[in-house]
Amino acid sequence: MMLLRLVLAFIGRRPLTWAFHVLTLAVGVAIVLSLLLVDRAVEARFARDLAGVDLVIGAKGSPLQLVLSAVFQMDAPTGNIPIAEAERFSRNPLVRSAIPLAMGDSYGGVRIVGATRDYLDLYGAAPEEGRLWARPMEAVIGADVARRQGLRLGQSFVGSHGFAPGGERHEQAPYVVVGVLKATGAVVDRLIITDLASVWAIHGHDADRDKHRADEPEHGDHEAEGHSSREVTALLIRYRSAMGAVVLPGQVRRTPDLQAAAPPIELARLFSLLGSGLDLLRGVGLVVVGLSGAGFFVGLIAAVSQRRRDLALLRALGASPRRLLSIVALEAALLGAAGGLMGILGARGLMALLSVASARGLSGPILTAPPPGGLEVMALALATGLAVIAAILPAWVASRADPAKELA
Amino acid sequence: MICSPTLEIEELTAARNGTAVSTLRRLHVGPGQTALLVGPSGAGKTSTLLALAGLAQILGGRARLGDAELTALGPRDWDRFRARQLGFVFQDIHLVAGLSTLDNVLLGCFAGGLAGDRVRAEALLADLGLAEKARRPAERLSRGEAQRVAVARAMLNNPRLILADEPTASLDDQACETVFELLRGAARATGAALVIATHDSRLRARGDVVARVEPAR
Repeated sequence: MMLLRLVLAFIGRRPLTWAFHVLTLAVGVAIVLSLLLVDRAVEARFARDLAGVDLVIGAKGSPLQLVLSAVFQMDAPTGNIPIAEAERFSRNPLVRSAIPLAMGDSYGGVRIVGATRDYLDLYGAAPEEGRLWARPMEAVIGADVARRQGLRLGQSFVGSHGFAPGGERHEQAPYVVVGVLKATGAVVDRLIITDLASVWAIHGHDADRDKHRADEPEHGDHEAEGHSSREVTALLIRYRSAMGAVVLPGQVRRTPDLQAAAPPIELARLFSLLGSGLDLLRGVGLVVVGLSGAGFFVGLIAAVSQRRRDLALLRALGASPRRLLSIVALEAALLGAAGGLMGILGARGLMALLSVASARGLSGPILTAPPPGGLEVMALALATGLAVIAAILPAWVASRADPAKELA
Repeated sequence: MICSPTLEIEELTAARNGTAVSTLRRLHVGPGQTALLVGPSGAGKTSTLLALAGLAQILGGRARLGDAELTALGPRDWDRFRARQLGFVFQDIHLVAGLSTLDNVLLGCFAGGLAGDRVRAEALLADLGLAEKARRPAERLSRGEAQRVAVARAMLNNPRLILADEPTASLDDQACETVFELLRGAARATGAALVIATHDSRLRARGDVVARVEPAR
């Protein structure tokens, strides 16, 4: 371990210089790595919430909005569609499963979603306490909701209109909590879920006032049919076969006032919108990493020239040029690895902060960092590799140390 | 020592940057013997030593250590030769700062990729009265102490040839005597040939052999 002690002695001679260069590298690595981690976390989160939904059918509007509102519960719904249309598509032989969702109300900022039990099965959600709903106005609450809203089993609550606080309260139709769901890590954790009939019941009461529902479609036709309150907001479809993807969207498109949105396509669009900002940040990170590589080069050149006499001495004691080369290479690798490790710790710390911050608000999805793995290994390899590359020329200079010049 | 080497030098011309700088006409050093290389400053005594270590070019002549023809060695052979058969004590001391005294002694083996014999290194330091300073940082040693560490380092690999470049320059009389005796004692103990380049008049009468280095013409 003489080599290590020697290298550490050399590094120890320039503590401030190396602290600076290692820190710069760490910052660069942290930026790049934390962006990748956020990317992964968001992707994992979306994939979990998507749960294999192939197509979302809903009222006309922005397809991205439809996907965000129905699958991720993140945006306002596009409107409602008549139950008859929903049932027609549910019975389509190309459809393996269709889950109807009826939304529009909330409690303390938490969305109340009317659904069939299939919706819970989609995320493998089962009651931790209590049971599932058996009749209208019974509701189950997601794990996050139980934790943060202080709702308990058997407690009654009143939904209010819309998703923002301050909506009109449906005092005449209170819900009762009959079950608390286990945490699933998916969207149901932050929802109140009830029978479709519950939503329809409230809807029926309120039918006269439907005109000022911001999240309702332009009523027109439906109202003419006589206040049919049996509507759903969206239908989550899974295909029976790939043929579904070919045929179904077209069928929906030919139906008036309906639209179909394929989540993968909409998500790709969303990410391409966000992408340019992330790309910029990633670019900044890479520039910092690159600069720190240049810093390593300059630092190593200076270090080698400062220790010319030591290297000459080693050479005179029988060290081969290769040995001198390896000293500088090891020095660079150690410093690079240190920068990489610090960067990884920094990125992990940042992710932890982000998780805490995202868990604090109920509105957004909670981001959990993926378990340490390939990305960290890559970051470490990148930092170490960069440092070693920066060491190539300095190491070569070191290997040519000339004792005759230094010792005479 | 069995098969102890004899250093035989004939008409050795050392060069710097391709230009001949010094010539050593003739020098024969027997096992355990001490040779003094003398000559005016700038005559090329250091260059001659460096040439004998393979660190300066040899333009002509012969140098033989035991059976080995030094002038025929290639670059890698020279690295091996320095690591295994040569002990070199330099004019400036050249300990590596940041390493302990003991590590500085072991550096001789490390440089050549040999396993360092810690026990022997510690014994050498003890012989030189530096046992207590073995773990201290080398930069805290006095000049005289550092010089002794350099001698211990040169002796660690049981060299067959010990080269010393002005080892007593800037030492007081007592330290001069100590270092000279250390070197001569080391050579005698192992049967190595010792070559000291010096213009120190205090050593003039102490060598078994004296040879004059001349500037190359």
